[in-house]
Amino acid sequence: MRETMLFGFDPAWYAGLLFVATYVLVMTEQLNRAVVSVTAACLMIIGGVLTQQAAFEGVDFNTLGLLTGMMMIVGLAKNSGIFQFLAIWSAKRVKADPWGILVMLVMVTAVLSALLDNVTTVLLIAPVTLLITDTLKINAYPYLFAEIFASNIGGTATLIGDPPNIMIGSAVGLGFNDFLFNLAPVVVVILAVTLLIFYLFWGRSLQADPALQAKVMEYRERDAITDPRLLKQSLAVLFLVMMGFIFGHDLGLQPATVAMFGASLLLIVHNLKHTAAEESASIHKTFCEVEWTTLFFFIGLFIVVYGVERTGLLEKIAHHIIELTGGDRNVTAISILWVSAVASAIIDNIPFVATMIPLIKNMAATFGANGELMPLWWSLALGSCLGGNGSLVGASANLIVAGFAERSGQPIHFGKFMLGAFPLMLLSIFISTLYLQWRYF
Amino acid sequence: MNAAAVMDPHPTIIRPTDKISTAARFIMEKRYRSLPVVDENGCYLGVFGVNCLLKQVLPNAALIEKGLTNVSFIHDSLAELHERFREFGNQPVSICISNDIKTIAPDTPLIETLLLLYTHRASIPVVEPGSCKLLGMISYWDVGKKILAS
Repeated sequence: MRETMLFGFDPAWYAGLLFVATYVLVMTEQLNRAVVSVTAACLMIIGGVLTQQAAFEGVDFNTLGLLTGMMMIVGLAKNSGIFQFLAIWSAKRVKADPWGILVMLVMVTAVLSALLDNVTTVLLIAPVTLLITDTLKINAYPYLFAEIFASNIGGTATLIGDPPNIMIGSAVGLGFNDFLFNLAPVVVVILAVTLLIFYLFWGRSLQADPALQAKVMEYRERDAITDPRLLKQSLAVLFLVMMGFIFGHDLGLQPATVAMFGASLLLIVHNLKHTAAEESASIHKTFCEVEWTTLFFFIGLFIVVYGVERTGLLEKIAHHIIELTGGDRNVTAISILWVSAVASAIIDNIPFVATMIPLIKNMAATFGANGELMPLWWSLALGSCLGGNGSLVGASANLIVAGFAERSGQPIHFGKFMLGAFPLMLLSIFISTLYLQWRYF
Repeated sequence: MNAAAVMDPHPTIIRPTDKISTAARFIMEKRYRSLPVVDENGCYLGVFGVNCLLKQVLPNAALIEKGLTNVSFIHDSLAELHERFREFGNQPVSICISNDIKTIAPDTPLIETLLLLYTHRASIPVVEPGSCKLLGMISYWDVGKKILAS
């Protein structure tokens, strides 16, 4: 912290108010969230809470590198048509049966969301879904609703599936396997139960004319692959990156290094046969696929939360939480799970998780730091990722799907969605509670 | 020289209540790209063109923003496209009116009019300022003929 605060403000008050103002502005969406967080980060430095050097120490470059690398890989790989291929292929595997298509699209969305990012997954799966439902002349709502759930549930299973997991993994030093072994089992159960609920609601009512099903069967999924060479290269690099995530952790390789190396490798092999001008255009286009506003939102947020942490405010809040839960680790974990879920359904889960990470770290003094905090981290991951299903604004992927629905003339209304989604989200949190109790306490 | 000097004051028009199939047959026979849609009071409502016809036979998922960019896996036959066209052929033209083309006032300078023709790549409606009355249409051919004849 700097020696002197601007106008002699109390650092904790200044940082706390700045933090609350950042949250409010991000929530109300009156200003772009990246602009809000970067401005707040600058004010944290100008106000004297942090020096510029200290502010940079608060930025988690592992999270940023992992996000950037995966955005570049997916940004290039999607041009091969693999997502459309998978969606059409899965619909044809079940003979274009409406309920079978829903199950298959849920599985494809969940698996892709676990291995890639949720937004890209739904961005590429939703248009194919609309095409299929249009062809079958059936309501797209059950499919789009199910894909929202599948993307958020699938994304919960791995380190790279959802930004909260990336942030938690990076801050705590957890690897790909840690997430897979601890979260994937409960994710499979939640997905199965969710599908069962979908079946009870929609299963029997999803019917289509056999003649229209035959039209879907006429789609030639192989023709969806627009660049077979890029497809092979992308699959090979994605395989290497997954191997890097699985085995690299024990070798001291951080996920950011693996993802950035994968992105660089894909750019090199993809441009091997290109002229200098084509290579330059291709690389420029790939870098444009990176969501810079999201990355700068993260940077600003890391600095703001670090500023608050440095004033000791989060430590005090952590003590209060422990007092409230009676110092019981079990109660604390379950409270984190449920509060994270409800909060993530209403507000952006990224600032929430950024705040919770130092807060939970501060609980090490009470609970111990040798693995005792692990259930708390899994609670945070499950709550913040699954909570995104609670409302239409709970996750970016939800809004992307809602946008498609609106543009196709079949809008998903906020209230109607929440009426079905919030209880279903609570059910997933209830299952998570049972799982945490069974596995860690 | 302004827009009024180069416009066709008696353009072919269609009514919003005309059937799409009738209007489509007409623009196909006469090889129009688009025609102005005008109500019985002479009020300009927009244009009806070949793009709207194409839109009706293409999958909606490819037409929406950020929708499908590749539909090469769909192999519909001409008969299937005709069937799809028949489904909306009895609908009125009013469901297929586009307002993408900017209208201009009769006193718009000639060079400005040419720039609009160049950017829109379609005939431009000339509408009376302060009202919606269609005064005429300006096409490449009208302007071209006038320039060559001068």
